Amino acid sequence: MANVAQPRSQSSVPEGVAGALPASNRSAVRRLWPALTLLAWIAVAALCGCSNEPAPRDTHNAISESGDISSFFYQMLLWLDVAIGAIVIAAWGYALVRFKRATGDDTLPAQNHGDAKLELIWTAIPTVIVIAITVPMLVGVFRLAKRPDQNQQTIEIDVTGKQWWWEFQYKSGTANGLHTANEVHVQAGTAVVMNMTSSDVIHAWWVPRLTGKRDATPGRSYPLYFSAREPGIYDGQCAELCGASHALMGTKLFVHPPAKEVEVEYNGAKVKLDSYETWVKEQLAPAAAPAGADMERGAKLFKDKTCPTCHIVKGLEGAESASPSMTTGPNLTHVGSRMTIAANTLPNTADNLAKWILDPQAVKPGAKMTKIAMTPDEAKAIAAFLTSLK
Amino acid sequence: MAALSVFDKALEPVYHQEREVKYGLVDWLTTVDHKKIGVLYGVAGLFYLLVGGLEALLFRIQIAKPDQNIFVGDTFNGLVTMHATTMVFMAVMPLIAAFSNYFVPLMIGARDVAFPRMNAFSWWTFCFGSILLNSSLIFAEFPAAGWTGYAPLTTKAMSPSAGIDFWWAGLTMLAISSMVAGVNFVVTILNMRAPGMTLMRVPVLVWMMMVIQFLLAFSFPPVAVGLILLSFDRTFGTVFYEYTMGGDPHLWQHLFWVFGHPEVYVLILPSMGIVSEILPVFARRPLFGQHAVIFSGIFIGFVGFGVWGHHMFTAGMGPIADAVFASTTAIIAIPTGVKIFNWLGTLWGAKMTYPTPMIFALSFIPLFTIGGLSGIMHANAPLDLQQHDSYFVVAHFHYVLVGGALMGLFAGFYFYMPKVTGKLMNEALGKVHFWLFAIGLNLTFWPMHDLGNRGMPRRIYTYPADAGWNFDNLLATSGVFLMAAGTLVFVYNILTSLKNGKAAGRDPWDACTLEWLADSPPKAHNFDFTPIVFSERPLWDHKHTADMAIPVPAAAEEIHMPSYSWKPMWVSGGIVLILVGLLLLHTIPFSWLISVAGGLSIIGSLYAWVTEPV
Repeated sequence: MANVAQPRSQSSVPEGVAGALPASNRSAVRRLWPALTLLAWIAVAALCGCSNEPAPRDTHNAISESGDISSFFYQMLLWLDVAIGAIVIAAWGYALVRFKRATGDDTLPAQNHGDAKLELIWTAIPTVIVIAITVPMLVGVFRLAKRPDQNQQTIEIDVTGKQWWWEFQYKSGTANGLHTANEVHVQAGTAVVMNMTSSDVIHAWWVPRLTGKRDATPGRSYPLYFSAREPGIYDGQCAELCGASHALMGTKLFVHPPAKEVEVEYNGAKVKLDSYETWVKEQLAPAAAPAGADMERGAKLFKDKTCPTCHIVKGLEGAESASPSMTTGPNLTHVGSRMTIAANTLPNTADNLAKWILDPQAVKPGAKMTKIAMTPDEAKAIAAFLTSLK
Repeated sequence: MAALSVFDKALEPVYHQEREVKYGLVDWLTTVDHKKIGVLYGVAGLFYLLVGGLEALLFRIQIAKPDQNIFVGDTFNGLVTMHATTMVFMAVMPLIAAFSNYFVPLMIGARDVAFPRMNAFSWWTFCFGSILLNSSLIFAEFPAAGWTGYAPLTTKAMSPSAGIDFWWAGLTMLAISSMVAGVNFVVTILNMRAPGMTLMRVPVLVWMMMVIQFLLAFSFPPVAVGLILLSFDRTFGTVFYEYTMGGDPHLWQHLFWVFGHPEVYVLILPSMGIVSEILPVFARRPLFGQHAVIFSGIFIGFVGFGVWGHHMFTAGMGPIADAVFASTTAIIAIPTGVKIFNWLGTLWGAKMTYPTPMIFALSFIPLFTIGGLSGIMHANAPLDLQQHDSYFVVAHFHYVLVGGALMGLFAGFYFYMPKVTGKLMNEALGKVHFWLFAIGLNLTFWPMHDLGNRGMPRRIYTYPADAGWNFDNLLATSGVFLMAAGTLVFVYNILTSLKNGKAAGRDPWDACTLEWLADSPPKAHNFDFTPIVFSERPLWDHKHTADMAIPVPAAAEEIHMPSYSWKPMWVSGGIVLILVGLLLLHTIPFSWLISVAGGLSIIGSLYAWVTEPV
């Protein structure tokens, strides 16, 4: 082993390429660049932290136990990662400053090929860490997959992802038979079983503050279990690329209080939330009969323009027979009670509804709703009728 | 201790070659020289790196702010799909192929690869495949189902546009190219090493290349099968992915990810190899624990086949499958950690200089570490349910693939270009490139962690202003411009150094391995004589150890050199004809005749291939 000072080889370019820069520049660059890199990182990291934008969809501000499990592992691994990262980057930065070759130093450093003991240690330590983080993780996996107790009161909902909206069919308890779209309502503190499926491509239902996402796969049905704690309104959207309007396949989760109505904050405004049972009762009722000439005209136009081919309005004659095609579009029986239209894309106002009815593809690229020829006035009449379906 | 000048005294070998070398364009079209094929791969890879970068720049502009309408719907999805497909299959993989082609034979002291014409076939198949894939923009539109192409979004009913047809056709060709290259290089590395180069004396970069060639040979068949099933569904109306008729969309996910995860290691292991070659040179000491670095790479390659399910935690495989795949994934952290510690061990006690290749190689360590550490989070199935398909995962794989794979490849460019061109690249421009790119990539990908935590899903072309994603997205998009500027400086640096670069000489870095024994650029036959290897650092020990000088034979060697051939390109062309016939099947009557002609031309060309004297 040539562990002694050796003159550099007689290669054709003696100083390597480092000779291409003037000496003063070189040393400045050498000294500064690790520090500068570190600074750049800290600056970017700080910039993210400094942004005081609110985070209404924060994945780590969970409202359910299953969301807490994800958050718990995030906190645990974050600290582990920060510790490991700090050690590695500190050792790296130290080495860059400490072990740079002094100008004119032609001696070779120690030519050792490794150190068995050291290598054993740094294989063993990660092994121990991996085991230590894997065991609690396995507990978490089985915990999340646990079906709520049979005897417990549960809300069971069949969820069907469709290009580009969500269909919800309630299967149990007082809400049995309730059929709605895009905005799903549950009761705080009650276990929920959502059976996810799809009728076209793969979607994934994700409300970040609630819990992790679950794929909605055509031809298969997979359950998602959760129990939301805090009454409130939470936004979410499809998380699996599902075509042109994937970005506009939103959803809303309403967590109702079990008993009395409460006031919750949503996007800086105060919103009243009824009790879950009140909401269920309202939604199960058939649509109110059109009141007044304007509403009757809207209802007639709704039927004349063939809207009931795809949409159900329970209680409206000619729009309530449950032919299979009638779930092609959302159930509109109580569309006026929803906060948004077109899958959480636009606020639910008569103007927005008219805009959507006139030209769906202008709102959502590739939207499957047929663009039916009508005048803006006719669209407004239909929109007014639909808005009245509270 | 001996000087390198002894190699100047070696006699030129006596050639036995069937046909004279052609010159000019014909030479580039018919070459079987691994170095020229490597250059072709390198030029193509750089070109597609610019294309893929431009695609990223365009869609990042669309999501720089909320509610914008520049690239909407499937236009945006097409840009996203082509950005990933281009970067993975047509930028990083050919750049790896460039290094593998050019340097594997040189580093093991061989004159060429085991099957030079098969090598040319790999190149032409890649070349035609990448053109076919990108021509979707001219004849139809970009495929828009994501680079993962999840069925049933890719079926005819859901994506009627022919974009997906170009996608499967192009990817099938790239898969053929990679499988053939995989076999070729495994055989080359196992059989054509210089005398004395035992497996444990094989350089780490070559070892990592051998691991990935095994991965290519074994992981591409499943995705090729998946693509062929997709092509049958789309072309002949079969129902492999059609759930209403007994098909299964999950079939695609399994076939894709059992390829897709080893593919991730295909992208990162070569850069780990490059870093493992560069650090010892500028630290002026051997790689710390070289055997551990090699074995951890092999281990990653093996375990990499057992982790694909971690891409499917949200798909509903059930808790047992989730638990198994989460555990196997966590195991990957161990060999990866070993590699990082061994690189730090190499730096510890070294006497380092910091020219551009070293700066890029050094930056690989913390950048890749960040990507690896967020990977530990994804291995945790309950946490991954939140992070899957969110921007957090986008941040993770870009730290691994840009901060890791691409920074390693840049390091490789600055380190090895002097061997390829005989000219050193400009140091000042190299540093400008480094700073623009390093700052840009952190500015782009670091805020994406925050975006994922704030619940932003990936692949969305628009988002509302009140979701809390505005600031981070603006930061991310501004970083892309810095990366783009850095890349342009890099390309400018290559072009100017070709003309004005300082002469590199045989061994500009005082390096350790055999490729630096060859001339810069190397002669067609690489080495005038077959070098004999005494250690894992043959050239270093030649220079620095008294009794380990590489002996120069007194007599000229007699060698056989492979001749140029048109046949590899003909066979690749035949594959193109088969695919074009299928693509036109429902558009032009009797277009299946084109496929038949392609099949016949393949048979004919293969017959000419095997009977052609070499």
